[in-house]
This record gives sequence, C-alpha cells and structure tokens, in this order.
Amino acid sequence: MTESVAPSAAPRPLAVAPVAAASPAARAAIEIDDVDFHYGASKALHDITLNIPERQVTAFIGPSGCGKSTLLRCLNRMNDLIDGARVSAGRIRIDGVNIFDPRVDVIELRKRVGMVFQKSNPFPKSIYENITYGLRIQGQKTKARLDEVVEHSLRGAALWDEVKDRLHESALGLSGGQQQRVCIARAIAVEPEIILMDEPCSALDPIATAKVEELIHGLKKQFTIVIVTHNMQQAARCSDRTAFFYLGKLIEYADTRTIFMNPANPQTEAYVSGRFG
Amino acid sequence: MKPAPSAFAAIFGRPTPAKRVETGVFWLLRLCTYFVLLCAAFIFWDIGSKGGAVVFQSSAPFINVPFLTESPETLNVFVRDGREQTMGDRAFRQFKAEHAAEMKGVAVETYVYSAGGIFPNIAGTVLLVLGSILIALVLGVLSAIYLSEYATEGPFIRFLRLSIVNLAGVPSIVFGLFGFGMFVIALDFGVSLLAGWLTMAFMVLPIIITASEEALKAVPQGYREGSLALGATKFQTILTNVLPYALPGILTSSVLAIARVAGETAPIMFTAAFVMRDELPWQVQKWTDFIFQGVMALPYHIYVVASKIPQNEYTRDVQYGTAFVFLFTVAAIAMTAVILRQRLRKKYQW
Amino acid sequence: MLTLLFRMSATTETPSLARLATREVLLRKRRGWFFGMTGDQFVKYVFQGNAAVSIIVLGLITFTIFKDAVGFIPMNHANLAVYRLAGLEYVDLYREQVTAHSTMSRYLAGIRARQLDILMQKEGLAPAAAMARLAAYDGFANSFADTINEQETLLGTMTDLVTAVKERQTVAQDLAVAKKNLLGAMSGATPERAVELQQQADAIQIEVIDYQAEIKPLLALRPEIAATNASQMTAMKEILGQAPKFADAELNRRMEKFQGFVQGYFNEAAVVAEKMAAWDQTKPVGRLEAFNAFAFGRKWITASFWQDWYGIIPLLTGSLLIAFLALLLALPLGVAAAIYVNQVARPMEQKILKPYIEFIAAIPSVVLGFFGIAMLGETLRRLSQLPALDWVPGFPMAERLNATTAACLLALMAIPTIFSLAEDAINNVPRSFKEASFALGATRLQTIIHIIVPAALSGIMAAMLLGFGRVVGETMVVLLCAGNRIQTPDLSAGLGVIFQPVHTMTGIIAQEMGEVVRNSIHYRALFMVGAVLFLISLLVNWLAQKIVRRYRISIG
Repeated sequence: MTESVAPSAAPRPLAVAPVAAASPAARAAIEIDDVDFHYGASKALHDITLNIPERQVTAFIGPSGCGKSTLLRCLNRMNDLIDGARVSAGRIRIDGVNIFDPRVDVIELRKRVGMVFQKSNPFPKSIYENITYGLRIQGQKTKARLDEVVEHSLRGAALWDEVKDRLHESALGLSGGQQQRVCIARAIAVEPEIILMDEPCSALDPIATAKVEELIHGLKKQFTIVIVTHNMQQAARCSDRTAFFYLGKLIEYADTRTIFMNPANPQTEAYVSGRFG
Repeated sequence: MKPAPSAFAAIFGRPTPAKRVETGVFWLLRLCTYFVLLCAAFIFWDIGSKGGAVVFQSSAPFINVPFLTESPETLNVFVRDGREQTMGDRAFRQFKAEHAAEMKGVAVETYVYSAGGIFPNIAGTVLLVLGSILIALVLGVLSAIYLSEYATEGPFIRFLRLSIVNLAGVPSIVFGLFGFGMFVIALDFGVSLLAGWLTMAFMVLPIIITASEEALKAVPQGYREGSLALGATKFQTILTNVLPYALPGILTSSVLAIARVAGETAPIMFTAAFVMRDELPWQVQKWTDFIFQGVMALPYHIYVVASKIPQNEYTRDVQYGTAFVFLFTVAAIAMTAVILRQRLRKKYQW
Repeated sequence: MLTLLFRMSATTETPSLARLATREVLLRKRRGWFFGMTGDQFVKYVFQGNAAVSIIVLGLITFTIFKDAVGFIPMNHANLAVYRLAGLEYVDLYREQVTAHSTMSRYLAGIRARQLDILMQKEGLAPAAAMARLAAYDGFANSFADTINEQETLLGTMTDLVTAVKERQTVAQDLAVAKKNLLGAMSGATPERAVELQQQADAIQIEVIDYQAEIKPLLALRPEIAATNASQMTAMKEILGQAPKFADAELNRRMEKFQGFVQGYFNEAAVVAEKMAAWDQTKPVGRLEAFNAFAFGRKWITASFWQDWYGIIPLLTGSLLIAFLALLLALPLGVAAAIYVNQVARPMEQKILKPYIEFIAAIPSVVLGFFGIAMLGETLRRLSQLPALDWVPGFPMAERLNATTAACLLALMAIPTIFSLAEDAINNVPRSFKEASFALGATRLQTIIHIIVPAALSGIMAAMLLGFGRVVGETMVVLLCAGNRIQTPDLSAGLGVIFQPVHTMTGIIAQEMGEVVRNSIHYRALFMVGAVLFLISLLVNWLAQKIVRRYRISIG
C-alpha cells in the first residue's frame, strides 16, 4: 500500500481541471484507524486505516457494495440511524477526538461534518428556508445574518445568480443539478469543516455534473471534502487522493495520479482500467 | 376439405365460445358490483326521502327548526270534536289545564320521545366525538411518531404492533364492556362523558396509529437524513421536517376516525349515554360535573326509538328524522375523508 | 408545549464570533435538563410512553374482562350447588317425564288439526259439522291427556316444597350480603358509626338451612311417584287399545308413530325413575361442572323464580348462524366486486366505484338496524308470503325479525371490508404474472381464474376471516334485527332454520348489561360472554395474520 503524503509533481493527463498542489505538510483532518464495521452479523468493513488530509478532495472508489458509502457514513455517524449497524473495532478521529467516544455529541459532530446525499434531497420548502434550515435549528433568528448566510452559501455553491430572484419559491421546482447544489449550499451554510459527498452526481446529467465538479474544486480551498463516486473519471478529475475499496477492504490509498497511472496493486489496476467492477 | 384459417383470419375471428363465456362472466361480476351499490343506494334513498320529509319543509325556513333545536318529548294523541289531535307533552299539559272539564274522560294515547326534537342528542354526540377524537389523536399521533421514527425492531415493538393489530379487531361491544367495567365501575366515573371519551378513544386508537404511521412513513427518508446531517436533533427533525409533510395524511385518518366514533353505539350504551335527560350538557355547576355527566346521543336515541316504541304513523317521524340527521352527518364526514384522501394522493407524490 | 421542548432540546448555540475548535465542540458536555436526560432522550420516552398505551389498553381490556368473567365460575358453582341441595334438580328430573307426556298430547292435537283440515278442505264440511265428526277422536285425546293429571299434581306439590326452600336460601343469601356490606363499611366509619354498624350487622339473623332435613318430605313422595307411574301405565295401555282408525293413510301412519312415542315414553319413565332413585343430594358439584354449564349449556335463563341457567350455546350458535349467513352473502359479492373493479372496470368506473363501496362502511350500524326494523324485515316477510315462493324452506316466515334479516344487513356491512382487502390482494399480484398469461394467449377471464385469483387467494381468505370477525362482533344490527329469541336454532327445521329468530352474544350483552345488578352472577355471566367474544376476535386476527404472512412470503 503506497502512502505518500506529498503529491508528485508529474503531469496529470487525466485531470480535467487544473489542481493546485496541496501543501506538502497537509495535516490529517480525519484519521481512520483499524475500523471494522458490522451490519448485524455481516461484516461490511475490514480493518480500514487511512488519513484524510485537510483541505483536499479525497475520493473513495470501488465497485458497488465495497463499503465506500458505509465508511463515508461512519464519518458523521449517519450509520447510527440504521438498526444493527455498528463500528465494532477501531476509531475515527477528527481533530484528535475519537468520534465514537460516548462523550462526543453527535449533533455537534454533524454540524462540523456536513453531508450531501446521492439523491438530491432539498426539503419541500423554499430555497431560502432550505439554506437557513441548519442555522434556524441552531437558534439563529436574525434576519440580516440569515440573509447574509444565504447569499454567501449560494455564491459558494455557484447558484446565487441562477436563483437570487426566486429565493422564496419551492426548491422542488429547480432542476436536478440545481437541487443538488442547493443541498451543497445548505451544507455549507452551517460552516462545517468537512463535507461528505455520497455520489453527488449519480443522478445528474453531464452538464450538471460538470458544474458540481467545478464547485467541488472551488470548495476545497475552504473545506475538507470526501467524495464517494462510482465514476472513475470523476475521481480522476476532481480528487487529490483516491482510496480504492474492494469487498469491504481498503486495497490501495494514494495520490490520485498514482492510483490511475501507476497503481501498486493489480486489483486496483484491473478496476481503474475498467476490467471489472 | 376446408383450408386451415390463416393466422390473419384468426385474429379477426368470430367470437369463440371462450369469448362468449368471458362476456357472460364479466356481466355477472358487474351485476354483483352494482347490486351492492344499489342496496346501499336504496337505504340512503329510503331514509333520505322519509327522513328528509321530517327535517326539511316546503316553506321558509325550509328546515324543520324545532326538530333540530328542541328536546324530545312525549307525544299525546287524543280525539277532540271528532278530530284527532297530537300534542307534545308541555303543550298538552297546558291544554289540559285550560280545558280541564272538556278533557275529562277523553282517552289519550302517549308515545314517548315522539314529539319535540333531537337537539340534546346532537349536542351529546358532538361532545362525545370531539372529546374522544382529541384524546385519540394525541395518543395515536405520538404513538405513530414513536413507531415510525424511534422504534427499533425488537420484542417490545413486536409486542406493540401485535397489540395494535389485535386492538383493531376487538368488537366494539367488548370495548363497551371494558369501558363499563373499567371506567364506570372500577374507577367510579359513573355513566359519564369521560368514560365514553376514553372508551371510544381507545377504540379508534389503532385506526389513528396505523394511518398516521403510514403517513409518516410516506415522508421520504432523505428529508430526515438531510436534516440530521445539518446537525438537527432528532426531535427538531421530526418537528420541522417530517410532521408537517405527514400532517395531511394524519388529518385524513382523523376524519375517518371521527366518522367511526360518531357512528358507534355499542361502546357508549353503558358508558356515556342516557335515554333521557332534562338538562343540556352545559347546564352544570362546575367543570367536574361537566365531564362526569351522562349525555343523550343520536345513535343511542335511534336504538331507543327503533326498539322501545311501536312503529306507527305517530312515531315514524322521530324515527326517520333522527336516522336521517345521523346517517347524513356521518356520511358527510366520511365523504370528506374520502375526498381528502384522493386529493392528497394526487398532491403528495414524492 | 412542543415549542418549549423544541427550544430546550436545542441547548447549544453556535457562537458566531469566535469559532471554537472542533475538538472542544465535540467534547462539550450537553446539559442534561430533566433528571439527567437530554431533551431528545426525554422526548423519546414521551413518545414511547404514548405508544405503550396500546399495550396497556389491551392489557387492561384483558384484565377487566377476565377479572369479572373468572368470578363467574365460583358463583355458578354455588348456584348449581343450591340447585342440587335444595332439590330443584330432583324435581327437574321428574318434570322431564311430565314434559314428555305433554309433547305427546301436542302430537295428538297435531293429528286433530290435520283431520279437521281434511274434513273441511276435501269433504267441504262446515266447521261445526267437522267438529262434530271429531268428537270420538277428541274423547280419545282427552282421556289420554288426563292420564298425566296425577303426576302433574305431584309435580306441583314437589315444586312448592323446593321453591319454599330456595326462597329461604335466597333470603339468607341476601342477608349475608347485607351483613358483609355493613361490616365492610366499618373500616372507614367513625367509632360511633362503627358501633352502630356492628349492631346492625349483629341484628341480622341469617338462617342456616339444613338441606338434608328440608328435602325429607320431597323424598318421602317416592313411593307415591312409583304408584302413580304404575297406574298411569295401565291407564295409558288401556286407552291406547281404543285408538281410533282413520280412512286416510297418512293419519294412520301418524297414529302408528304416536304409538311408538308412547312406547318411548314408558322407557323414558323407567329411566327417569332410575335417575330419581340414584339422585344423591350430597354429591358435590365439580368445579368443571360449573364451567361446563356455561360452555356447553343449552339454556340461557335469567331472573327466573326457579333456576337461572347461563349456557352460551344458544347465543354462540345464534351468532355463528348469522355470521355464516352474512358471509355466505358477502363473500361472493365482495370478491366479485373486487375482481370487477380491479380487473374489468374501466379506469373511470374504477375511480367512482372504489370509494363508493368503501363509503358503504361509513353507514352507522344502528341506522342499518333501524332500516331492518322499519323496512327490510317487513319487505322480506311480504316476499316470503308470495305463493310463488312457497317451495322455499321456512317460507312464509313466522317472524319478520330473524337471522336472515340481520344477516342481510350484516352482509352489507362486511362487503366493504372484504372488498377492500380482496382488492388489495388482487392489486398486489405482480403485473408480470398477468402479462405472462396474456402473452400465452389466455383471455382475460382465463387469466383471472387461473392466475390472479389463485395468487390472491390467501389475501382473499384473510379478507374473509376479518369480515367474519367484523360480523361476529357487530352489535346494533343483531340487537335490533335478529329477533332476540334465546333459543338454539332448531336444525330439525332444515334450511328453514335460517328464518328463525335468534339471539347473539353481542346482543345479549347490549340488552342485559344495562339492567343487571353489579357483581351478581348474571353480571359476571355477561362478562364471560364478552370474554368469549374477545377470544374469538383474537383468534380471527391471529389466523388472518398467519395467512397474510404466508402469502407475503409466497409472492415476495
């Protein structure tokens, strides 16, 4: 398993968008140590260990059912909602705190670790209410502050110009790509440290996908992003580091370029070259 | 030798015996269906026409106001000057006092409850329905939220669901028996509104729980996850992002429950209903008297006038009139629920 | 209240100025604000508590009903014990013989009616002349009827004897209850009042009845009974020798049958005599007997001066007869309507029919019952009186309110239930089944018969069961329309049994509950009936669920 912290400076033919070289001393935002995960009796993750660097995009790839989404949902403990799902060994630390520690407040965790889902799920409320939802439930009521956050988040999600005139219309009236960006804006609005994206583009057409990818690229200046994707081109285009999972095991984790150009593991090579999966 | 028909000819072939049988059977099915509808329609027509004649009238104000605003009275029938006269009890007493000499020895036939109106019955039914629905809604919706949002599969939940299903199948008279043994006697509420409320609330509880849970389950999981991922607590999520979308469905179920509660007689027979009571429900001294009083109720009144007094031209009006008011009120509530449900099905397709 | 909880559960506010480090935020302790619980936990327990209400209610229903029902057994045991001790049982044994004799007299009266019929119809005699022709027969019948006179007198004496004892027992029992109440009231009374109560209680003299001594005069009648039986036998044989002969073959056949009856009567008299000889006052009444008298008892007689019986059989059979009839009507109609609406009807038709049929369920049962009394009962009776329908067994109906009247209305109530569930079941048959069948060239009817109905069969079965549950548990319609005659349906009437008035379990509770003395045996007997209903409903539910579960697996 290659574990190089500094990305290499070689040319990156697969990447569409130019990627700014991350700082070589990038701190780990999330440290995952020896995590085992069970759904009831069946083991879904085996002994996963990886560090996710701060302010970079990390992609999880692998065939369906390989555990990549499961791992992602561990990071903000969304798996707590599923009956019988549990982390049976290991720990995940964010800023040095094990998030499975009983003292950890899961609500606060989720405020710090935002999430965007596979199927865009704007609430059947207005765009404005969607964006401000997170702040309102935290008790924020000042209109000026909310307005400010809405504009800031929508700009951050590159949606401001498209929706600024209809902020008070239902978010369900937007196109699929716009809905997904509302969800991203909604996640940004609570100012998390980390944003988890669970196949955010799987239901979008190529043009909407390109927009979201562009957005992801912009967001990493401010946030640590973990993205699960089924689409290898997408991982190649917008991530800095890539982890390849297979059957609940982490097969290889390295710089994206290495994974795609020069994988160490033959399984990884077979997968990225499209021979299975 | 006849040539075998080509495939093309077979497609346009004449009706085969199988086809004819099919048509016949379909007609039979159609006949069955419409027969059922006709039976129901006949009941509505019979009670609608005969009862409508009591409740409505051809001159202004077109509605038989006394029937809807007065209390039931005994009807007195007697012959005077060769003409038959009918009079309510109060009017008759006055009349008798005024014509004491004349009335001596005149045979008077009496029919209980056949004069006056049914106002206290309407009021009693409304009170019974409102109270029991309120109790059932609070208990039912909270239970449904628990089942849909919090419950994790386990022995407790399995037992809970079993209880609900079985509760739904318990005959209403058994609920009445339970209410009588539990509230009227063991808790010593007496025959009272409170006993009736609780009995009927428990009776419709399964309906409300099941329907509300269905409405809650219909709210997409994504709304919950989205809200939780933004750092909302579970309760905030339910309150702001689940319940509002399930509300229409819950409302429909509660309207259905109202129809059920309003239509039931057996559970209130010995828990809340009086055959006759002179005071109106709000003519009480203190609020405890209010909830511990028995009331007259429409369905029980129908039972009484249908079974305890003879069927003849004098009693027909009150029988059909009461049945009319009751049937069409309950039917209107049920119709509202049916329409509401259809509207919602169209509107909320996630 | 909700908004308050809402606010409380949001205990932390993000400070907008200085952003705290993630580490601090994650480990910040949430304030417990209610017995150490966080708002969310508290709310969860509130919801959970509410959900538990369903369990509690079911538990309470079970408890309330069975608590009062179980008390019935010892009370009925005491009831039956007195029946034996006071000699009522002994007298009832003898009464059987007398009843058998009067049945024979009634049979003779039947023959007379037939003769009169023949004389008037066939021979065209005037009533007076016909009566005159029957004088000889009447002489025979009367002298036959007279042969029971001595027994009847004896029976009267015996009845008087035991009734007196029973009455004294009842008085003693009432006094005992009064005394117990007085003593019970002492615990909460002031000392002076307590003394007063004690005095009152002491003043009550409860007679202790020595049953064995009391029935001595009853048993002393034994030789007399044997003597009357012997003299009756000779008298009857003598009379039988003078039995008239008829020209009509049918009448002769009846007369022969009558002679057979008389022989049967002699045998029965011997059996009764044996039983009376073997009767033992001191034989204890078994616990099980008290229960069996309920579960298998064929008599429900209450508030009688002689002996109360609480046997559920007439009520249970009445309920089942009505339920069976109602299902017989509702099942084909409901399922046919379900098939029609789901498979045959045009979409437009479907949209109207479905809510309409479901809407029928909203007709209140008491209105249906009223309709039965005011309209349907009379209509059915008129119909049954049509000469063209004479061939139907049981027609013309004797009563306008009977099992069939109630069953028709109950069927209308059960149809929406059966329809909805059956329609659901048919709707759940995967589309692919149907399409595969069509693709093989099957007609729509063939597809329905061979594919859809079998696939939906268990759903339809469950619909039938739940419809049955609904019908058995329905009260108002049967209370108003079933005729309320407490009698086990007489199957000897053949199919005509369905036009007999019956009483039902639900009906008896509704009718008698309002008038019984609290905690009396009658009160508890009604709770017993309620318990039976409750158990039936649980059984029906359990079966329906079992069927539905199996069905889900077979489709899934």
